[in-house]
Amino acid sequence: MATMAAPISATSAETSSPSGIWSWLTTVDHKRIGILYLVTAVFFFCWGGLEALVIRTQLIGPNMKIVNAEQYNQLFTMHGTTMVFLVIMPLSSAFFNFLIPLQIGARDVAFPRLNAFSYWVFLFGGIVITLPILFGLAPNGGWFGYAPITTMAYSSGYNIDYWVLGLQILGVASLAAAFNFITTIINMRAPGMHLMRMPIFTWMSFVVQFLVILAFPVITVALVFLMFDRFFGTNFYTIAAGADPLLWQHLFWIFGHPEVYILILPAFGLVSEVLPTFSKKPLFGYPVMVYSGMLIGFLGFGVWAHHMFSVGMGPVADSVFSLTTMLIAIPTGVKILNWVSTMWGGNIRFTTSMMFGIALVAMFTVGGISGIMHSSSPADLQQTDSYFVVAHFHYVLFGGAVFGIMAGVYYYFPKMTGRMMSETIGKWHFWVFFIAMNLTFFPMHFAGLYGMPRRIYTYDAGQGWETFNVMSTAGAYLQAVGMLLFLYNFITSWRSGPKAGNNPWGAPTLEWALPSPVPDYNFAHIPTITSRYPLWDQKAEELVKSESETTIDGRLKTAKELGIPMPFPTIRPLIAALLMCTMICSVLFIHAGNLPLALTIGIASFLGLTFTLVSWLTSALE
Amino acid sequence: MTRSNRPSARTGALLAILAVALAACGGQYPNSTFLHWSDFATDIDFLWDRLLVWGTIVFVIVEAILVYTIIRFRARPGAPEPKQTHGNTTLEIMWTVIPAIILVFIAIPTIRTIFKTQAKAPASSIEVEVIGHQWWWEFRYPQYGVVTANELYLPAGRTANFALKTKDVLHSFWVPNFGGKRDLISNRTNYLWFTPNDTIKAVAANGQCAEYCGDSHANMKFRTYVVTPADFESWAAHQKGQAVFGVAPPEPPAAAAPGKAPAKKGAASGEVALSESAAVVTGFVFPADKLPAYVIPRTPLPGGLALDDATLAKGNADSGKAIYSRSTCIGCHAINGNPMSMGIIGPNLTHVASRYTIAAGLYPNDARHLSAWIKNARAMKPGSLMPTLGMEMWDPMMKMKVTTGGLTDPQIADVVAYLRALK
Repeated sequence: MATMAAPISATSAETSSPSGIWSWLTTVDHKRIGILYLVTAVFFFCWGGLEALVIRTQLIGPNMKIVNAEQYNQLFTMHGTTMVFLVIMPLSSAFFNFLIPLQIGARDVAFPRLNAFSYWVFLFGGIVITLPILFGLAPNGGWFGYAPITTMAYSSGYNIDYWVLGLQILGVASLAAAFNFITTIINMRAPGMHLMRMPIFTWMSFVVQFLVILAFPVITVALVFLMFDRFFGTNFYTIAAGADPLLWQHLFWIFGHPEVYILILPAFGLVSEVLPTFSKKPLFGYPVMVYSGMLIGFLGFGVWAHHMFSVGMGPVADSVFSLTTMLIAIPTGVKILNWVSTMWGGNIRFTTSMMFGIALVAMFTVGGISGIMHSSSPADLQQTDSYFVVAHFHYVLFGGAVFGIMAGVYYYFPKMTGRMMSETIGKWHFWVFFIAMNLTFFPMHFAGLYGMPRRIYTYDAGQGWETFNVMSTAGAYLQAVGMLLFLYNFITSWRSGPKAGNNPWGAPTLEWALPSPVPDYNFAHIPTITSRYPLWDQKAEELVKSESETTIDGRLKTAKELGIPMPFPTIRPLIAALLMCTMICSVLFIHAGNLPLALTIGIASFLGLTFTLVSWLTSALE
Repeated sequence: MTRSNRPSARTGALLAILAVALAACGGQYPNSTFLHWSDFATDIDFLWDRLLVWGTIVFVIVEAILVYTIIRFRARPGAPEPKQTHGNTTLEIMWTVIPAIILVFIAIPTIRTIFKTQAKAPASSIEVEVIGHQWWWEFRYPQYGVVTANELYLPAGRTANFALKTKDVLHSFWVPNFGGKRDLISNRTNYLWFTPNDTIKAVAANGQCAEYCGDSHANMKFRTYVVTPADFESWAAHQKGQAVFGVAPPEPPAAAAPGKAPAKKGAASGEVALSESAAVVTGFVFPADKLPAYVIPRTPLPGGLALDDATLAKGNADSGKAIYSRSTCIGCHAINGNPMSMGIIGPNLTHVASRYTIAAGLYPNDARHLSAWIKNARAMKPGSLMPTLGMEMWDPMMKMKVTTGGLTDPQIADVVAYLRALK
């Protein structure tokens, strides 16, 4: 194994990439867009975390009055919506963007400007959903938005409007990005990068993009129905007109369950990169890991109604969905044991990244086991909509997705910024998070099994739930401490952390052959791949031929000097995203009863969008 | 590195600490899902035990291997290069097959329980229509002609077959002690049945809406009383008729405990003398002294609402009836025997004084809370459809003061006296 990367001569990785706000607004560089996703999602993480803190403060004891019912309902709706759509998905997107081209040996994604468009649409959609809480007008129908409570008859305020419109906008961002990444992965792999040589993160990302493409249109249909009901008086969910509310539930969960795998598979991918590096062993059973990821994604479309065992589907449907749900445990269990086997016999180095990775294996197992408990539908009738479920999915999404992403952040931070994060603070962060997470969510299992329902803004004294809630609230505050440690580490390390070499961890995959931070063109010469772990099997120099990339004084050559055509920065994706959002949001004025204004804004935005798109399509790419 | 090299060992320690902490607090869990109070709850708990045992076995094995691995194979200085294994087909087939076998042990009882618990309820069942409203419960007993709200009486040993409907959004019917929940779906009727154990003499349990239904979702509770069949027949026979009105004086408001409410069993259990005489004869009501603490609401009353004891003491039931019958009350509420009062939007009040709680289990049913509730329900229960009625009170939903048509404090005391007499 050739490792600990004999640092490529260019230790100074300064390139002549432009700086300043304008350069970020106009960037089409997948790495910068990845960083934008990362920073935005970390911001929303703090935002959603603050919402959770208010929720937990309200629930610290019985009959508390920190917030009222209306505020609480907005808070839990926004906490869920924020964490799913504005935190974990974009955190995954940050890694899709940053890593996929680097891992497959490409200079950018297939459609760099569409990529920028995806980010700006995501940002504006996030703002549409998030901002109203500052005015007490946040969506309040739950992240699942079950009809009919979201229809005009029961929610006549603007609250739900922001949710309906914001989610559609976010869907555009996810779909555009998914098509972009699929095209990139299929078409832009370097010579020798066979599908079965692709790094496992790229594989999991590949699976996730298909899930997005198949799942998001379903929620979009559901949302369009709801939008038409709310703004144009249709009757898809109108109870008085005889609608069946289960239409929404089926559509939502046909999206909603694959969404769970959209959230977790990227984290699985990241951990599958981290564990081999820090065990100095290849991933155990690579093909099985790939196939199990695909199988999880495939089965994920056949289990949606396990969210609906209490709606009375009848014994046959309940049985079928119980069995399909249990089946998912098999490929998931294989993943867990393959990760353990990856570490078995290795030389395990306990970096912060590795600790988060190991914690994912440990904690996701807990969430997986409680998931099996739900799969037994009669048992689920006692668990669903109780705090047991809250415990379950926080083990999956916090112990799983967030821990996996944290492992990824600590692992890839040097590649993104050229600097190392502090391992000392990182380990504090890890332990605080790990203890806090268990302190917060483990007692919720008990609260739920002892009868505490979800989504209640208050509960009475003497119900046997006080102790568990005190523990959960204490854990939530401890999580906030952990998050502050992370933010401090993140910001100070970015500014003044020690410089990272090209491959500070001795990692095996292609991206680590590049300088840190990576020059805007990624690869001066497209490498030829001969194995799954090129840096363990080949010399980094052979892969990227670094000598020719640096000038005499050790500076990396610019794309121009190397003669690499780069896409021009452009503001058009941002403008197009903004106009698309104003066009969609113009219907809010229909709700306000001002049709002329709605039409004016809608048509003006549409014309502007058309003009921008024409100009986008006719302007030179590079 | 040694200090921080075993995260999962810490997991174990943490779980142990949690377990001790939980055992130490030794509290009561009145809403536990592990009580075997019905066949349904027993069947589910049987499944749960299997899930818990298998889950614990898998958890212990996986975490033990993980902890062993990270301790045993931690990097040591000068350690040789690890063997570069890429997989092991035998092992991987093994841990595909073993979970599959475990799942069979879970799947078989699961399917069996699904078909058992969703079979058709026996014909001898007592039929109960459960109708969800934002945010209270209507219970109808078509076989008995009884309509009541928020307090569900069931006979022990007889299957109760619930027909679940909703007047508005989705709700979910859940009494954890008696089994799993079932949603109330608009434009549909759902069914759920269970048989309370025939050994039960008298138990009280909390029920709660388990599907998010808007502002006061948390406040949509109900009580379930399972009593002997004879007591149930007595209760039902009395609930079917009119309240015996005009005899019972309003209670001394100082006795805030709801337990003080109605009288004991009417006559010997089973035989109910609903005589037309003026004697205070009521049917069975769950005995106040057997009410456990956990079914007595402790929701704090917002300040400045309750009437003072002197005013309440002056309440006159007859004038209360007159005031009630010409006020907005009758638009929503029905009282059997009061021809003016035939509303169907709000809870049926025919025997309201025989209940222990008001506002869907949110407050105890005593004169003090009832007066506050009439005065300003919306200040006591967010989003309540019951309007604010007290003169000069601030209606938090209409965002205005009540003027015309508002009730003065003495009027409210009269209405309270009337309602308190409806046993």
